[in-house]
Amino acid sequence: MLLESRVKEQGSILARLGEVCTDPLGYAREWKARTGGLVVGSFPMNFPSEMAHAAGALPLIIQEAEDPITAGHGLLFPFYCGYTRSTVDQAANGELDVLDAIMFGDHCVQLLGAADAVRMSLKNTRVIFFQLISSMCDPWTLGRAKESFEKLREELEDFLGRKVEDDALRESIRLFNRDRQAMRKLYEMRVAGQISLTATEMQYVVKSAMVMDRREHLELVEALVAGATENSPAPEKRAIRLHLSGHFCQAPKPELLDMIEGCGAVVVGDDLYHGFRYISTDVGENGDPMEALAHWYLDRNTGVPCPTRVQNDVDWDAFLLDAMRKENAEGMIVLMAKFCEPHMYYYPEVKEAFEKAGMPHLLIETEHESMALEHIRTRVESFLELVKRRRGAAPVVTSAAQGEVA
Amino acid sequence: MKKHVMGIDFGSTTAKAVVLDMQGNIVAWSVAHMGAVSDAAVHQAVDDVLAQAGLEQKDIGRCVSTGYGRRMLDIADKNFTEITCHARGAVAMVPEARLVIDIGGQDSKTISVDANGLVAQFAMNDRCAAGTGKFLEVLARAMEIELDEMGDIAMGAKQELKISSMCATFAETEVISLRAEGNSKEDVLGAVHQAIATRTLGLVNRVGKKGPVVMTGGVARNKAAVHYIEKALGMPVILPKTPQIAGALGAALIGLDDYKAELAESGESLDEDHDVDAQMAFDKSCVSGCKGDPVAAAQTAPAATSKLKSMLGNLQKHF
Ligand code: SF4
Repeated sequence: MLLESRVKEQGSILARLGEVCTDPLGYAREWKARTGGLVVGSFPMNFPSEMAHAAGALPLIIQEAEDPITAGHGLLFPFYCGYTRSTVDQAANGELDVLDAIMFGDHCVQLLGAADAVRMSLKNTRVIFFQLISSMCDPWTLGRAKESFEKLREELEDFLGRKVEDDALRESIRLFNRDRQAMRKLYEMRVAGQISLTATEMQYVVKSAMVMDRREHLELVEALVAGATENSPAPEKRAIRLHLSGHFCQAPKPELLDMIEGCGAVVVGDDLYHGFRYISTDVGENGDPMEALAHWYLDRNTGVPCPTRVQNDVDWDAFLLDAMRKENAEGMIVLMAKFCEPHMYYYPEVKEAFEKAGMPHLLIETEHESMALEHIRTRVESFLELVKRRRGAAPVVTSAAQGEVA
Repeated sequence: MKKHVMGIDFGSTTAKAVVLDMQGNIVAWSVAHMGAVSDAAVHQAVDDVLAQAGLEQKDIGRCVSTGYGRRMLDIADKNFTEITCHARGAVAMVPEARLVIDIGGQDSKTISVDANGLVAQFAMNDRCAAGTGKFLEVLARAMEIELDEMGDIAMGAKQELKISSMCATFAETEVISLRAEGNSKEDVLGAVHQAIATRTLGLVNRVGKKGPVVMTGGVARNKAAVHYIEKALGMPVILPKTPQIAGALGAALIGLDDYKAELAESGESLDEDHDVDAQMAFDKSCVSGCKGDPVAAAQTAPAATSKLKSMLGNLQKHF
């Protein structure tokens, strides 16, 4: 295929994925009308979507909406994180009505509050709650994780009125693995400079996987990989290579990502949930699929450590420094959603480790409604200037850069 | 080779311009007040600084802009943020400085710097005018006094009052009610400056409290602000002679580095060139502004006159 038409095709794939990301519930409505199937919504970050898929439903991870909070104000305090407030708001406004069931896993206190508020708002929606062990290195962790997933499977079967067969589950696991592998391939190519994908485009690739029919998604991502293998425009060499970290439940706003890259940076890696965190780990394809899912739950925390889980032998900060070395990243921007408690608790450790390692990083606190983009731009530009000027400067200072907000 | 570079700080309420020679000496500087980011005012500062230096825009080898409007300037070859430029400018003015407190019209920032004037860490006020020049401006209006007299009046405070809100609008209400309770202007203004100092201390702690501390930006000219900040820090604050041009100076210095690097790359020898040019100017400057070319002398003569005029004007402003 000619380069020009390949670029065009790449563009239209990304546009399609972007469309799904902009209106995930619209996609769900359209999928429902097309297939007549059931849509099973879930909260991030630990729900094994393969299970709902194996039962013939469309698993959809509920996304933060763009709209400012209105009805949700009456249900959750403003000191809840943007994700939980937005989810409750969407429930209160009737937008989540397209979901036939919702699966809640508890990974933080705010999510628990949001689960109650959503349950109150969606009287006709089946709400299934599952608890997952958060201590990851106890002798009983694996067994408890398996128990939770078994219970979830039973509830799901009860709701759907049909069995989740082992073979179907294995089939779904294989499909999801293939999709994750294709997305990880894009990550590898980006680090190697073989593909030029902006941070927003990468987010579209991953976020759409949380929403779309997996087979449809896989086809598009594999076409992206195939189209990019030759003659793909390499990213600007002089740009600062950045790693983005943080943001668990909600996707960072594309305008923020575009602004960061527009300041002269190129994002080469991330550990965002709407990024590498989501696709880091595959599920074992052989043996008991429930056992494999329980292992996946444990393995993910060593793949990309999560501050909502506790594991003595795993350090998020050490992981980040190591990832950045592999990506040849020169600095890190931490995107912290306002009031995200797990992130707030863990951040000081990351800060300390980065300062010790002399690795520059910048903390940006993001908000659901009011983000002063111009103001943030000044801080991002200053940070990039600092990284750039240090490239050629005598190594007088070992401290790290940190442009906190007051 | 051109012999000068320019730095422009296109701030939220004032525009500043600095011209440097190739050794980094300040040849001229200018500050224009404009009320809000305005093209006209920035051009006023640029025209003024060129007139003072007896130069034209085409004589400038590199022009770097900074400040809020840094991307709006066509004449700038490059732009850098206020953080980078203030750090560089402040260290040029006070080489021993390791912490820069800059309080400008709409933002306040603390920057820890190394000996090269490079930023090590920085912190900025977030999304509101808390603790900035704007905060003082709003409260001056509420107290019905001129911004310039605010600091002097506040120095006469006898009683310690407290303003708890850092939101300019809410603080305005507090100030009005403190006045209504019968507190003196001096005491209320003392509290206003104390509030700025507390906010600044918070920002300082974010980058680490260490000295020597230098203060730049327009608010550095406010005696009471400096006094209360010194008290809050428990450390003396060094004030450069012209704190408000630190950003423009830093921009000009970055421009100078950039220009020299480019010249070095293209193989031009800076020192020799400079010596030859200086000797030529010395040998042939029988006419003011003459660089050995009578035609050019006729053109540069008016520039020299306007430079004199502008210097006189500056002197008058000063006294
Ligand atoms: S982990 Fe953070 S972002 Fe996610 S629900 Fe909890 S507080 Fe919100």
